[in-house]
Amino acid sequence: MRLDVDNVSFAYAETSAVRDVSLSINGAGALVALAGPNGSGKSTLLKLIARVASPSRGEVRLDGKRTSDWPAKEYAKRVGYLPQDPDPAFPMRAIDVVVSGRAPFLRRFEFEKDSDYQHAEDALAMCDAVHLADRYLDEMSGGERKRVFLARVLAGSPQLVLLDEPFASLDVAHVQQVSSLLRGIVDRTGATIIFASHDLNWASAYSDRMLVMRDGALARDAAPRDVMREDVVRELFGYDARIVDGWLVPQRETTM
Amino acid sequence: MGTPLSHARAILILSLVLLAAIVLAVAAGATPISWRAFFDGDATMRAIVLRIRLPRVIAGALIGATLAVAGVTFQTLLRNPLADPFILGVSGGAACGAAVASAFGLARVPGLVPVIAFAGACGATAAVFLLARRRGRSDATRLLLSGLVLNALFSALILIAFGLAPANDVNAALRWMIGTLSGATWNDALLLAVLFVAAMIVLVFIANDLRLLVFGEDDARARGVDVERIKLLGFGAASIITGAAVAVAGIIGFVGLLVPHLVRMMWRRDFRFLLPLCALAGGSLLVVSDLVSRVVIAPVELPVGAFTAILGVPFFLSVLRRER
Repeated sequence: MRLDVDNVSFAYAETSAVRDVSLSINGAGALVALAGPNGSGKSTLLKLIARVASPSRGEVRLDGKRTSDWPAKEYAKRVGYLPQDPDPAFPMRAIDVVVSGRAPFLRRFEFEKDSDYQHAEDALAMCDAVHLADRYLDEMSGGERKRVFLARVLAGSPQLVLLDEPFASLDVAHVQQVSSLLRGIVDRTGATIIFASHDLNWASAYSDRMLVMRDGALARDAAPRDVMREDVVRELFGYDARIVDGWLVPQRETTM
Repeated sequence: MGTPLSHARAILILSLVLLAAIVLAVAAGATPISWRAFFDGDATMRAIVLRIRLPRVIAGALIGATLAVAGVTFQTLLRNPLADPFILGVSGGAACGAAVASAFGLARVPGLVPVIAFAGACGATAAVFLLARRRGRSDATRLLLSGLVLNALFSALILIAFGLAPANDVNAALRWMIGTLSGATWNDALLLAVLFVAAMIVLVFIANDLRLLVFGEDDARARGVDVERIKLLGFGAASIITGAAVAVAGIIGFVGLLVPHLVRMMWRRDFRFLLPLCALAGGSLLVVSDLVSRVVIAPVELPVGAFTAILGVPFFLSVLRRER
């Protein structure tokens, strides 16, 4: 799998969300964090890579081929995308949600076959969610739902997985659970995962490589330990932070 | 429950229900049918069965199926359980056309009101889509809001038209707006059948993509779905058959909103599974409702739209109570 983002920009009406971003991800099996404050363009960049939106300038290429040149379903087989708060508007069982991740593999009038259900069950197993298969989404906790939707993305066995804020709205225990799931997925499937996170600590703790965005531009592309430095954080985010054992700690309140 | 086999069985059962409803609705009515006389070639019996009841029952089945199919399509496309076939202005446009036509005395020209109503329905749908469109995309919220304001505008125009129209014409227009199957002809049934089959072909053709829209448009795009195309085809097919149904029988409520929910509660599956079940259940409900509305205090006919609710609501509530 090779992903190239070349001088990509994207604007919503007059507001530019992504500005001249270039990056490459080559090879298999990496956990890449897309970090940056709220509104820095992380979600939009993920959408551009997911082929949900097309860049106003520049191009995204997968294995050397532009996103727009890929047949839509072929691209969808290779790239899995999980929006921040997916929600089927009607009650659905987890297994039906997960097996719908096989959609790009179905022919026009085809229903899911046994092999598609097998993929769905394998994906649920990978996400520790086999026991949730017959339960309805609206009866689940946030962490359980997250795992079901992760399984849905994995059911298509994508080579590139794009996750928008997978840790948002999870408590610390679930954050750790999901992050170790992600590591396990990378190790077992050889997929590359790019996850957006506004939390620098989680982004750095759970990734091999950090892409830091600021004001729509890519401000840093480096190993986590090279981002989690007090001078770098000051430069990128404009505030003084203490970093203890690689974790960013809020400054104690100072008297004015 | 929930395997393709039980789905096939559900289709079979509902087909039998619809068939039974049709037979019952043809046999029962203000005038008792003597089947012996009918098969002996009695002219009156043959006229009642073949020229009055059968076209009305067939049109009713098609309109019920149309409304339920349009309802489940709108709910899926708009990701909104409160959506019904009329939510994007189809009924408002049709009613407005009919009301304005009556204000100008055009309602007395036979066959003109359905044509104007159909034109109003198509015009309203097109207007809603043009209003909601922005940068090549029309998201669900903008569609719903556009439908809402247009329906408000149509209500105002209808009231003004009624203020201007002669009382007799207002009564005729009101009867039509409440919804009635009386007077449905073989031509109506044929038109409805052709459009319904065409729409079903389109919907079955796009069902595998359309069902993914419940997860949201971005999610569907990421799965390789050409969302704008699916929306155009889905809304287009559902709106045209709804417009035709409204033109023939006026505005029959409840079927398009609650039949999809009823079916969804009994078979919790996606759009592909719901589509045929909704068609059969919607057809059955409207045929039975129409039968009840014309026999309950025969020979007076009560508004069929009221009976879709009177029969449907208790059934709906009992399913709701049995649920988890």
